[in-house]
Order: sequence, then structure tokens, then C-alpha cells
Amino acid sequence: MDWFVINLLNGLSYGMVLFLIASGMSIVLGAMGITNLAHGAIYMVGAYVGWTVAMHWKATFGLGLLAGGLAAGLVGMAIERGLLRRLYKQPNEQVLLTFGFVYIITNLCLWIWGGWPRMPFTAEFLRGSFEILGKTYPKARVAIILVGLILAIGLWWLQDKTRMGAIVRAGMDDKETTMVLGINLDRAFTVIFFISSFIAGAAGVLGAQLLGPRTSLGLEVLLLALIVIIVGGVGSIQGALLGGILIGVIDTFGRAVFPQLAMFTMYLTMIVVLIVRPTGLLGRKV
Amino acid sequence: MEPTKNETEKGLVTAIASYAVMALILAALPLFFSTYGQGLMTRFLIFALFAMSYNIVFGYAGLLSLGHAAFFGAGGYTVAILKFHYNIDLFWITAPLGILVATVIAALFGIIALRAYGIYFLLVTFALGQMLYSLTWNVKWFSSPGMQGITGIPLPDLAIPGFDLNTTRFYYVVLIFFLASVILLHRLVRSPYGLALVGIREDESRMEAVGYDTWLYKYTAFVISGLFAGVAGILFTYYNFFVSPNHLGIVTSFLPMVMAIMGGLGTFLGPVVGAAVFIFVENFASIFAPQRWPLILGGLFVLTILFAREGIGVYLWRLWKGVSYRFGSSKG
Repeated sequence: MDWFVINLLNGLSYGMVLFLIASGMSIVLGAMGITNLAHGAIYMVGAYVGWTVAMHWKATFGLGLLAGGLAAGLVGMAIERGLLRRLYKQPNEQVLLTFGFVYIITNLCLWIWGGWPRMPFTAEFLRGSFEILGKTYPKARVAIILVGLILAIGLWWLQDKTRMGAIVRAGMDDKETTMVLGINLDRAFTVIFFISSFIAGAAGVLGAQLLGPRTSLGLEVLLLALIVIIVGGVGSIQGALLGGILIGVIDTFGRAVFPQLAMFTMYLTMIVVLIVRPTGLLGRKV
Repeated sequence: MEPTKNETEKGLVTAIASYAVMALILAALPLFFSTYGQGLMTRFLIFALFAMSYNIVFGYAGLLSLGHAAFFGAGGYTVAILKFHYNIDLFWITAPLGILVATVIAALFGIIALRAYGIYFLLVTFALGQMLYSLTWNVKWFSSPGMQGITGIPLPDLAIPGFDLNTTRFYYVVLIFFLASVILLHRLVRSPYGLALVGIREDESRMEAVGYDTWLYKYTAFVISGLFAGVAGILFTYYNFFVSPNHLGIVTSFLPMVMAIMGGLGTFLGPVVGAAVFIFVENFASIFAPQRWPLILGGLFVLTILFAREGIGVYLWRLWKGVSYRFGSSKG
């Protein structure tokens, strides 16, 4: 029983990190039609900057979180404003450009921070563990679950209850009509891209407990984000949340039950979802 | 405008002549190169073939696939496993089996992937490729002891007495496969079948309305494309002496996409130009700036998008046409 609970908690905390990674990419893909393959690399920028601020400069974890998010947000915004905005509705060019940035950002991180992987880190007050069903359990993971839930609710509210969210949803359905109605979609898209990159960067710091900063993150995280988006469906916070939790829990139990088939359960889930519902569990029809 | 019969024949003669010139140049090149240069040329031809195979499904049928390495790697793994587990390296057995495995996997994946459209197709093909990656990564049967992947695969046995393969001779084997594929694929895209693929890319619902079974066209394009990717994968494993899960995964799947886009999408020889640029830039960057070559390569992608949007191949072609127009040497 406690074996089950421990693994479930592990799966949920992993799933929350996956949700944070995938949510921004999913919204950008759904709302703006932009395939941003550099999303994992942007996550990595956040993780490294957060490590530098929180661990290297020994500032607080909160500052690291903010710095990681801001750095990632600015990198994302620079790519969107400088280049991606010329490539709306050109998926081939977007794929080539953003994959170029995976190479560029990864190599720059290697240049700045060196090749050695950083130890997982977390906030001072979250180190250590507490007792749960007679077992010790790390506080940081529980904190990740809580923060993830709060962010999920916040993003959900942003998507369904605010003007910003309405613009996004309108833009998804009919970009031209939305613009004719006097909405400045260009500016809205830049804001969305910034928020999406900010969340990825902050997730990089928050998730450093599970996925410590290393130069392979750019591709690893991209893979995870794509899998979550496939399972949950493109273009909604709910989809990313469901996909993230599902993949997090299934992968954690998969590793516990069939250690030699690590990752395979995740791919299998994805294939089954694709066969049953090709647009993902909560995907919009395209 | 319909070309007259005379014009078509003239075009055919020009095409044959230009391919003959290309074949002659490629056949003569090793004479001027060291073994290292020959190896590089071999690598270029293999990836040019890989990119051309991808161009069928992406450039002509308009399906943005992100799992093409699955067929490349499947061919490669088949010949590696035949050598490693069964000690078979007779080319006339390993190559057909490798092609068969790649084609069968393409036929299976195609059924699943073609349930999806647009960006979902990209996601599905990616997922399927990663599944094979994960399989070879986790199951010991796909690896030499203590390795991720199978190593120590020698050049194949051609069973021709007194003719053992070496780097130079293997280049010619690859060249023969490359030229044969160029001819076959050229005929394919110029046939009514190839034109129908372009029609589906441009407007699928109209083609359906006209009475084409568009699913079947896309499916066969996917499978044919997988077959040729398998050929490239087989040659690559022999060239590389080593096959690893990465050769099935996303890193390798990106290569033909990048080459095809860089060279000029949907043009027949664009991917070959893209492969040449990629392989040679990668090589020189890794010699002169071994730490920084990904930076240079990434920068190249970005510059291509900014300044040669239709692909470097098309850009060069325009440049050449502009030059020849200025000097009045031809009608272009």
C-alpha cells in the first residue's frame, strides 16, 4: 500500500513538472500555430540561470525561480519577435528555425556553464523529508505537486475567464476575423510566447529537483513535452494537465514494475492514445 | 502549356545527359581524394539518398514526418543484427532483408500515422520512431555487450572472388545504389503517380473529389519513402561500422528534414544539395571548431530561413540562371 502511495506521489510530482513544460508549448502550438522545438532548450536556460542565482551566487531559491523564468522568457520573446513572427503559417520553416535554436542554445549553455551536470537542487526550507504512512518522503516533491496545482488553476483561469484567454481562443478559431475586430494579435502572441517561455524557465528551476541542469535537457525535455502534448491534446491547459499527470504516473509505475523497460510504457501509452483518439484525449478538432 | 512531343524528348535527352555528367563526376572524384575524403563523399551520398527518400513523403506528398529515422535505423539494425547474432555478412542476404524490415515497419507505421492530419501527423511519426528508439535502448538483444548499440560491423561480403571491399570500393557500391535510386525516384515523381502526390499536397479534398483514393497515394508514398530510407540505413551501418539507438531516434530524424528544407523542398535534387551543405559544413566545423560546430550548424539553419527561404539549392539555381542570363549564354 505505501509502495503504491509513494509511487503515486512520485508520479504526480513528475507529472506536474511535465505539465508545466508542456502547457506553454501546447498553447503556443494551438493558439499561434507555432511548432516551437526550442521549448526544451528554453527550459534548460531557465534551469541553468536558476542554478546560477540560487546555488552559485547563493541567493534565495525564490530569486532563482524568478531569474530562471525571466531569462527563459526573454530568450523566447527574442526568438519570437526577431524571427518566428515572420514565419506564421509556415510549419516547415518554423521546425528548421527552432531546431537550429536547439543546437545554438545547447552549445551556448555548454560554453557558459561547462559540460558537467549540476546536482539536483531545491529551496532551503524544502530540503529534507517528512513522514508519510511510516515512510520518509522528500518535502520538495510535495511542494512541486502543490505549486503545479496552483499554477494549473491560475492558467486555467487565464485561459477561460480573462480577456487574454478569450483572445487566444478566438485567434485559434479564426485569426483573420479576430484581427478585423480590432484585436492586436501580434502583441497578444508576443505576450503568450513570453508567458509560455517564462513558465518553461520557472519549471526548469522548480523541476531541478527531478531533472537537474545538464546540456542534454534541450532534447530530453522536448521529447517529454511532445509526448505529453500527444497524449493530452494540443491547445489547452486541461489537456496538458491530464497528459502530464497521466504520463508522469504511468512512467513512474512503469519504471517501478518493469525497470528494464524504462520509458517504453510511456511510448506505449502514447501509441494507444493515438490509435483510439488521434487528436489526443482532450484535443481540439483540427 | 502542354509540352509538345518534341520538347518532351528534348527534355528527356537533357535529363539523361545531365545525369550522365553527374554520374561521371561522382565516379571520378575518388581519384583526387584521400581515403578520408572518400569516406566523406560516401557519407554525403548516403545522406543524400536518405534526404531524397524523405523528400518523397515530405516534399511531394506534403506529409511533415518526424520519424523517418525509424526506417533508416531499422535497415541499419537488421544488417547489424544479422552479423552480430548470426554472423551473416553476405551482402546479397543482408541487404534484401534490411530493405524488407524497413519496408514492413514503414507499412505498419503508415497505417497508424495516416490516421492523423497536419501537425498531429508530425507528432505521431515522432512517437513511433521514439518507440523503436526506446526498444533498442532497453532490450539487450539490440546491443553488443556493455554498449548501447551494435559495434564492430565490417564491410559486407559481396561474394565476388578476389574482390574484397575497402573504403574506395565501398564508395562505388554506395554510388551505384545512389544513382539507381536517383533514376527510380526521378521516374516516380515525374510519373502520373508523382503528379497525383503533388496534387494531394496542394489540395487533398479536390483530389478526393476528382476520384483519387488519396489515402492510398499517401500510404504508398510513405512506404516507398521508408524503403529507400532503409537502403540508406543499411549502407550507413556498413560505412559507420556501428549502429546505435540514436540512428532510429529524433536526432537522426531531423537530418533528412533539415537537408530537404535547406536544399529546397519539393525540388528533385534540392535534398542532395542540402545533404552536401550539411555534411561538409558539419565536417569542416568539427575540424576547425570542434567545440562550436553545433553553434555553426544551428546558425546555418537560421541563416537559411532568413536569406534562402526556398532552400539553398533553389537559391543557387536562381543565381546560376541570373549569371547565365546576364552573359546571354543560354535561354535558361
